[in-house]
Amino acid sequence: MRGEEAAAAEARCPRSPELHDLSDDSDYAAAAAASSNHTVMRSDLADKGSVETARVDVVYEKEGVTIHPMQYGSGRISGILRLYLQQGSLFLSWEPNEEVDSFSTSSVTMEIEKYRNLYTVKGLPLSDVRFIRKHSPAFNIGVEYIIIVLSSGLAYPPFYFYNSGLRELFASLKKHVFIIRSDDDPNVFLVNDFQDPLQKSLSSLELPGVASVANAMSRQNSFSFTGSVDEARHVTPSSMTEYVSKQKHKSNDPGRDLSIQVLEKFSLVTKFARDTTSSLFRENHNIGARTYGRQQQKHVLDNRANDKYTDHPITPDKGSLPSDSIESDNLPLVWGKQRDNPLSVEEWSNFLDPEGRVMDSKALRKKVFYGGVDHVLRKEVWKFLLGYHEYDSTYAEREYLAVVKRAEYEAIKSQWKSISPTQAKRFTKFRERKGLIDKDVVRTDRSVPYYEGDDNQNVVVLRDILLTYSFYNFDLGYCQGMSDFLAPILYVMEDEPESFWCFTILMERLGANFNRDQSGMHAQLLALSKLVELLDPPLHNYFRQNDCLNYFFCFRWVLIQFKREFSFDQIMLLWEVLWTHYLSEHFHLYLCIAILKRYRSRIIGEQMDFDTLLKFINELSGQINLDRALQDAEALCSVAGDNGAACIPPGTPPSMPIETDGGLYVQEDEVL
Amino acid sequence: MSYAYLFKYIIIGDTGVGKSCLLLQFTDKRFQPVHDLTIGVEFGARMITIDNKPIKLQIWDTAGQESFRSITRSYYRGAAGALLVYDITRRETFNHLASWLEDARQHANANMTVMLIGNKCDLSHRRAVSYEEGEQFAKEHGLVFMEASAKTAQNVEEAFIKTAGTIYKKIQDGVFDVSNESYGIKVGYAVPNTSGGGAGSSSQGGGCCS
Repeated sequence: MRGEEAAAAEARCPRSPELHDLSDDSDYAAAAAASSNHTVMRSDLADKGSVETARVDVVYEKEGVTIHPMQYGSGRISGILRLYLQQGSLFLSWEPNEEVDSFSTSSVTMEIEKYRNLYTVKGLPLSDVRFIRKHSPAFNIGVEYIIIVLSSGLAYPPFYFYNSGLRELFASLKKHVFIIRSDDDPNVFLVNDFQDPLQKSLSSLELPGVASVANAMSRQNSFSFTGSVDEARHVTPSSMTEYVSKQKHKSNDPGRDLSIQVLEKFSLVTKFARDTTSSLFRENHNIGARTYGRQQQKHVLDNRANDKYTDHPITPDKGSLPSDSIESDNLPLVWGKQRDNPLSVEEWSNFLDPEGRVMDSKALRKKVFYGGVDHVLRKEVWKFLLGYHEYDSTYAEREYLAVVKRAEYEAIKSQWKSISPTQAKRFTKFRERKGLIDKDVVRTDRSVPYYEGDDNQNVVVLRDILLTYSFYNFDLGYCQGMSDFLAPILYVMEDEPESFWCFTILMERLGANFNRDQSGMHAQLLALSKLVELLDPPLHNYFRQNDCLNYFFCFRWVLIQFKREFSFDQIMLLWEVLWTHYLSEHFHLYLCIAILKRYRSRIIGEQMDFDTLLKFINELSGQINLDRALQDAEALCSVAGDNGAACIPPGTPPSMPIETDGGLYVQEDEVL
Repeated sequence: MSYAYLFKYIIIGDTGVGKSCLLLQFTDKRFQPVHDLTIGVEFGARMITIDNKPIKLQIWDTAGQESFRSITRSYYRGAAGALLVYDITRRETFNHLASWLEDARQHANANMTVMLIGNKCDLSHRRAVSYEEGEQFAKEHGLVFMEASAKTAQNVEEAFIKTAGTIYKKIQDGVFDVSNESYGIKVGYAVPNTSGGGAGSSSQGGGCCS
């Protein structure tokens, strides 16, 4: 069966000479020639979970479409790329061949075997595609490939067309979806790019913007406002082409600049594609069916628990309940590098010279960024990451520093320790601050064994450090959220003065989160908004239309750097990753975007308003896959590159604040 | 289980007055003195019955510290009811009531029902605000008043339900256009069209507010 199909595909898609100019007319003609003999087959391509065996029309099929999963040039997985129509929508699939490509050596073969299924693309709806970039090698040396970029801004690995067939692919695409060449880059083909206002309104009639030939034609008909449906059926291919090319010139495509900017970074992404051992592709790829069925599933999904307060007006059919977690958007999108193992004791010792200097701090930060730190090393390594120890300090210097800093801490602590009850009576601000801190330390991480139980001495230490800090930095004082930052630090350091100094240095960067005028928070949320605008314009537009651009729904994420979203163990890992400032000082903002992108189709699909979104984001606590979010964020950060950095004004926390004459913290009078 | 109406509540007041504990006592009927301090906002929900109609309360429990006022203000939008809480053992939490009320008046719907709650009445031996003072403040500002204890559950149920009753009465009196969600009320399927005829259209939102 497979062989016959391949032969048929070969017949439909004869090898063509190298093409530099992909003319619309000739593409259409090629597709028209092929269209008369669609293969019809049973739905073995369809979602395995699907009950019905919907009819699948394969409109394009090509063998020898290959990906290169690893850095070894010899490692290839060859497979079959197909386009097929199902229930009026166009899908793309890529399935690896059974046998590993003979180019591979046996050791590489073993490696590749692991990735075979990771890269399978089961049923990608073309409505999820933002654009496809075609790479034609110069002077016909090398192999043509395409990169498919989804509307979320993320990309599949390059598909190399060893047996040609790219021209026919585009011809087929043109026939079934709205696709236009970017005005700025002739190798970029925008998919479903309805920017013309009239076109937008038309596309909204037939979401998701992917249509069968018949649908496309009737859409064409409504566009020109001529004649009956009968007439529409007789629209000729050439008039269709005319319409498409007109649209191409009309399109003003405000998102185009971004696309191009993102593409400038693509060499980087392609490199990831070679390096990666991404596990993302083992996820369920049938996001299309989910997206379209989501409106119907909404009540079902929300109703998954046997909640006695369930309030949904519609009684769902429990039998159709998907049993997955709240994180239902398993988008197979991302090209971040796979997470590494934590820095081990042995690796750490290799970073140090005989006198204890870190020889290659950048390599160290990179290692920690990708893998974190073995817990037994945290006490030592965090001091470097936070900046309490200089990387080029020696063991002896650090020991000396500890002694000096211990004394300095005790001196500051004695400032409030020496306040007598009589003096306190006349010192309202002190009483209030102490009262607030007393109340909050007993409400911080008490479920962690280190802090649990009555009369826990560690809770008292938390209190003492925070109160001392509020004297050390009297202008900033104490604010809720600080105890969330301090608790893991004290847990790791197990030493009061060292915890104090590490916390103090952290607050040099993050203290602005607690400014009374919330300026630090607003700066970060604004930068976040700009980054989403850059990396996911549709999501940005959604937030804009729904009055959510203040990003207050990410307030808790940003204020205490996800402390409440992950377990205590996970947060230690996340923070040490953030503290490396390896790709960006503002990596936490990319993490926000990575998480939002994971859930974007639920957010948009369920038309969440501000209240609903806030509640939804709140309830993601404990549900987020940290490794995957980090991987996604890394890819986003790399793709955004300098354009991303340009979204973040200087001085935005956790960058060091820009000092002014009036002190670091501009505060109004009534600071606690 | 469906609801006739969904009311959005917001709990406000100084930090440490027991807002989260009141909510937990109301939704889970338990007192948990050891819990994480609230950053931003937390949510709770419970069904109650008024006039034989199932009503869902969706309750927003906010952070109390002064620094977070600017963000707390964004939560007022569309709240039908507010519980303004102070701690009867801490005078300053009572003194700050006026500023809380001013925030509420500025940022919430003018028809929002505000219930004043003097919490921790189980600690009357440490009382710093008398019952009469609370009552007087409520009277001056047109609030409903109660002293309650999240610890013993005294008056907790009553506070939430009485507030709902007041809102319900406002609906019956036609004070609210229930089809307009900015009043903090959503109409469910269980009720036949009463006023405004919003049942069909507004119920959509109910599905995601569990």
